[in-house]
Amino acid sequence: MINLSDREISAEIIESCRAGDRDAFRALYDIYKDRVYSISLYFFHGDQAAASDVTQQVFLKLMTSIGQFRGESEFSTWLYRLVVNACTDAARRRKSDAVISDRLEAFAGPGSQEEDYARAQMAGSVRAAVSVLPPKLRIAVLLRYFDDLSYQQMAQALHCSMGTVASRLSRGHKILAERLKGLG
Amino acid sequence: MLRLGIAACAAGALLLAEGFTFAIGSPVASQDFHAKMAAFVFRTQGCAEPAKAQIGATAEGLVKGVRRSVVLKVMAMSKPGVYAVYQSWSPEGDWVVNLKGTCADSSAGALIPMGPKGFIRESSKFFPRPATDAEIDASLKSHTQGENK
Amino acid sequence: MFTRHISRQLAAYIDGELAPRKAPRAERHLGRCGQCRAECEQVRFGMAMVDHLPPVEAPEAIWASIEAALEVSRPVRQWRWAFAAALVLALAGVAYWRTAHPSGPRWEVVRLDGSRVLIGPGQWIETDSGSRASVKVGEIGSVEVAPNTRVRVVTARPGEHRLALARGEIRAKISAPPRLFFVDTASGTAVDMGCEYTLKMDGDGFGLLRVTKGWVSFEWRGLESLVPAGASCRTRPQVGPGVPYFDDAPDNLKQALESGNEELSAILAASRVRDTLTLWHLLSRVEAGDRERVYDRIATLTPVPAGVSREQALKLDPETLNRWKEELAWTW
Repeated sequence: MINLSDREISAEIIESCRAGDRDAFRALYDIYKDRVYSISLYFFHGDQAAASDVTQQVFLKLMTSIGQFRGESEFSTWLYRLVVNACTDAARRRKSDAVISDRLEAFAGPGSQEEDYARAQMAGSVRAAVSVLPPKLRIAVLLRYFDDLSYQQMAQALHCSMGTVASRLSRGHKILAERLKGLG
Repeated sequence: MLRLGIAACAAGALLLAEGFTFAIGSPVASQDFHAKMAAFVFRTQGCAEPAKAQIGATAEGLVKGVRRSVVLKVMAMSKPGVYAVYQSWSPEGDWVVNLKGTCADSSAGALIPMGPKGFIRESSKFFPRPATDAEIDASLKSHTQGENK
Repeated sequence: MFTRHISRQLAAYIDGELAPRKAPRAERHLGRCGQCRAECEQVRFGMAMVDHLPPVEAPEAIWASIEAALEVSRPVRQWRWAFAAALVLALAGVAYWRTAHPSGPRWEVVRLDGSRVLIGPGQWIETDSGSRASVKVGEIGSVEVAPNTRVRVVTARPGEHRLALARGEIRAKISAPPRLFFVDTASGTAVDMGCEYTLKMDGDGFGLLRVTKGWVSFEWRGLESLVPAGASCRTRPQVGPGVPYFDDAPDNLKQALESGNEELSAILAASRVRDTLTLWHLLSRVEAGDRERVYDRIATLTPVPAGVSREQALKLDPETLNRWKEELAWTW
């Protein structure tokens, strides 16, 4: 499972953000930016502009409505609800959700330049397979993968029941398996 | 086909012969909404691979007689070779943005005075190399003395 | 007896997220059901595949754009923020709003004295000579409503924020991707492309759009005027948006445009390089016989770029005109 940062969210950072402390907001941004960006990037088939837009919107929304956040145990759930809303709103505004396959190879994740050719090919195949998942399954898979949220947290972020979370993850991973069989 | 190829090569040589330079514009020139609140945008010209150009910018200012220098974030726009500069210098005092860049073996520079309504195109200066300290000081001096306003 | 398959629970089973009483049942079922066992392996395999997705570092440019947007909205942060748009009454004086069968999402109206009212799409906001108002437009910006202004909330949803300005003046500061914020008037719709602008309308449909940051597309029945920062554009009833011009354009150029007659000779003679904004718009709005004069004037002021042929430009070929506009914009 991905662990992009070892830093923890402290109540102090959140309180400072509420008080309008820009440095605290920057710290919060640094902790979550890569996860939010990665989820958005893979959700939008590697479209860096779309991922940047969503990331910007999420953190602007976070900064301007952090007063609504009630306790640090809910923070990542609250943040990812913003991510889900931003991704689905942006997807609705886009003219089509077609896979833009020529963009999928346009970016390089950290360390990908050191990966050997086979691993790079694998990553490309997985990215392509994730891209063709229906949006609801795609966002569920990405949320689970990039931040290891519990099903309860995911249910809150996705506005659905835990049973629906389980169902979407089961269906999503099964579709991925069917598309990627032969690569394992 | 051969004639076309020669013409294309000649055009390319002409372009590169013009040298690597900057051109500045209002945010609307970028056609990218990320630049909507930028102080100005600029693009590279005469660079064979604009996405590989190395670009930097500082804001050079005089605030209540004190010389200041602020490193600026230059944001690449969706079109290769087009960049946005956002105001992160103080609204007080007089400021000139110092742009510099390299493209392969070529260099370019520009000094763009900033007025209350934005960049002052008529007083902007462009160089085939980064501006020297003396040129920056001269630009600031004439800006402060109101020659650019 | 029918066996209920557990396909939908497989991910939860693998992740250890099944409720304590369900997990043993799932375990027993998998021991008996070959189909679910096979599917379970598929889900495991799918999860293992996702492990190959590399995380991607967010570009530094995103923080710069967030900072820039926060700079724009800084004055608004001093107001009390609410999730939905909030209408705040400022200063002394009386402002009121008429309600008319509101439907859809309700916006919270917060007075300075702390009292709150709900207002929704379809409802009007009207200020008198002594009052102003400020509307927070979702999370994308704000609109200041000047005295003696009548404006209606049309829609308020994440994909579209729309106001209708009947008369008076509003000042909009929007920080969002383009085409999320619209202001309808009797003679044009201001489509935000990311900007700050002022829009004034009289009760008869005559108006003036002035852009101070970013740019606005002013549209009406297929007619479109691009208005960048530092420029203005008049609009007239039954005619729509006029030709935009820079506020620092020569007086005789502005007078020729504002008179409504658009005296071409005066405009061409007075135009500077940056007035190609005006001239480019004129190309498609003058009579065919005058189009050459406009083309020639633009070509005199600034080199015609490669890919823009005189013949295609005079035919108003859309691709040619667009290519030309892209280059001319660097002089605006």
